[in-house]
Amino acid sequence: MQALSLENIHFGYKSGDEPALDIGTLNIGAGERVALIGPSGAGKSTLLRLIDGRLRNWSGNAEVLGETISSSKTPGRAFSRKIGFVFQEFALVERQTVFENIRNGRLVHLSTMRSVFGRLTPEDYKQILTAIEETGLNEFMHRRADELSGGQRQRVAIARCLAQQPGMILADEPISNLDPGRAREILDLLVKVCEHRKATLIISTHQPMLVRTYVDRIIALSKGAVILDEKSSPASAAQVMAVYEKLADPLADRAKPVSA
Amino acid sequence: MSTHHTGGSGRYGFLMTAAIGLVVVLAWYDLGLDTTRLGESGGRLLDFLRRMVPPDLSVLGVVTEAATETVEIALIGTALSIVASIPLGLLAAGTVTPALVHVSVKWLLAAIRGIPLILVAMIMVGAVGLGPLPGVLAIAFHSTGMLAKFFAEAFESVDNRPIAALSSAGATAVQIHWFGTLPQIAPDLLRDVMFRFELNLRESLVLGLVGAGGIGFYIQTYIRSFQYQKVATLTIVILIMVIAIEAITYGLRRILR
Repeated sequence: MQALSLENIHFGYKSGDEPALDIGTLNIGAGERVALIGPSGAGKSTLLRLIDGRLRNWSGNAEVLGETISSSKTPGRAFSRKIGFVFQEFALVERQTVFENIRNGRLVHLSTMRSVFGRLTPEDYKQILTAIEETGLNEFMHRRADELSGGQRQRVAIARCLAQQPGMILADEPISNLDPGRAREILDLLVKVCEHRKATLIISTHQPMLVRTYVDRIIALSKGAVILDEKSSPASAAQVMAVYEKLADPLADRAKPVSA
Repeated sequence: MSTHHTGGSGRYGFLMTAAIGLVVVLAWYDLGLDTTRLGESGGRLLDFLRRMVPPDLSVLGVVTEAATETVEIALIGTALSIVASIPLGLLAAGTVTPALVHVSVKWLLAAIRGIPLILVAMIMVGAVGLGPLPGVLAIAFHSTGMLAKFFAEAFESVDNRPIAALSSAGATAVQIHWFGTLPQIAPDLLRDVMFRFELNLRESLVLGLVGAGGIGFYIQTYIRSFQYQKVATLTIVILIMVIAIEAITYGLRRILR
């Protein structure tokens, strides 16, 4: 079964500009773990926003977890619930506790009235506490987010996703703000929870040599197009290197002075 | 400019200081301030204090009642000011409205802040008559200039990243603001409100001078009629009131982080 299937996707931030996304066909199977690599401006974040249903005015066909994505409408709650998003800068409410931040991921299961009056069901509590357990945050549950380290904050952000009970987790450069040790811990955690919950994982990253070892498949983008799509293997290291060597300076050809 | 930068600004600073000093000296002579009178005042001041003792506690009841009225005026005035400051603060927030709107509203708030409370109170007394009502209206109007500005700054400080995260996670608009926006700014808003309430309490002491209710009426009456022992009771009540309110708001502010 496919978790994601894209066909003839085109998107440009300004008409006439080079496309930000230009993808013929791209399929990702359910439960697959994928690294999205490529230089800055290659379209990684744009693609993740499209999959999350937050990109507008693109053309083509996109199906995510069995639902067709619209290029003009905000996705419904039923769809948003299924996609968890992990941000580079954690995106926590700093003054709230770890528990409250993780509860925020559960809101999609609650009506506005219920949530505002704090009437969580036993199932909501169970899911929140499971997420806390899975991410190893038990002892920090009542600490404020602004008292935590970067690695701990990213754990909270992952737990917030898990409280949604997502079928897919999109992680947009989740380790860019972390030291190498914490980065490995976060990657380990993402892989572990996705395996356990049979969720599809797509990680965009600027550390391809590290992330490569955590995923099944590597997709490289350049100028919005797929330029590499390989199974992750010892042999793929050289291909990953080649992507970056070829794209060593992505602006080099654009930066040429215009000759008269 | 050939002058070295720091040398230039150093000279500029010296000239500014000298100019300000000159203005102060000129103002002193213009007012004709007589220092010998200051020297002679010691005896009169002592006499004034001597006549305050012992405090005349027979007015304690009426003075306490008036002090309570002052607290109530400050309280209701602050409450009305909050009601006005939320929409005005939103309009004045650069992150919420277009430049034309927020710049205009900021100017309006600055203008409100520029009108002294006593003047607002006199206008309100003219409009609605004597008593605590003009006092409440004056406090509400006057403090909105500052409170709405503070609220606007709080709204501008909202971190949009958690808002985006909640939106991406399928939260409804009300949930996004209840769980994403409000927790970010609520402590700041409460701190601003308590700070303004303290100011309102102290400023509302003078409302009675123009007939706008509260303890100010007795301050004026007792001093003008040389009833210094009653003034003593009045001073004690005001001190207790102000210190008590400051202690309460200090305690509350410590809880909010």
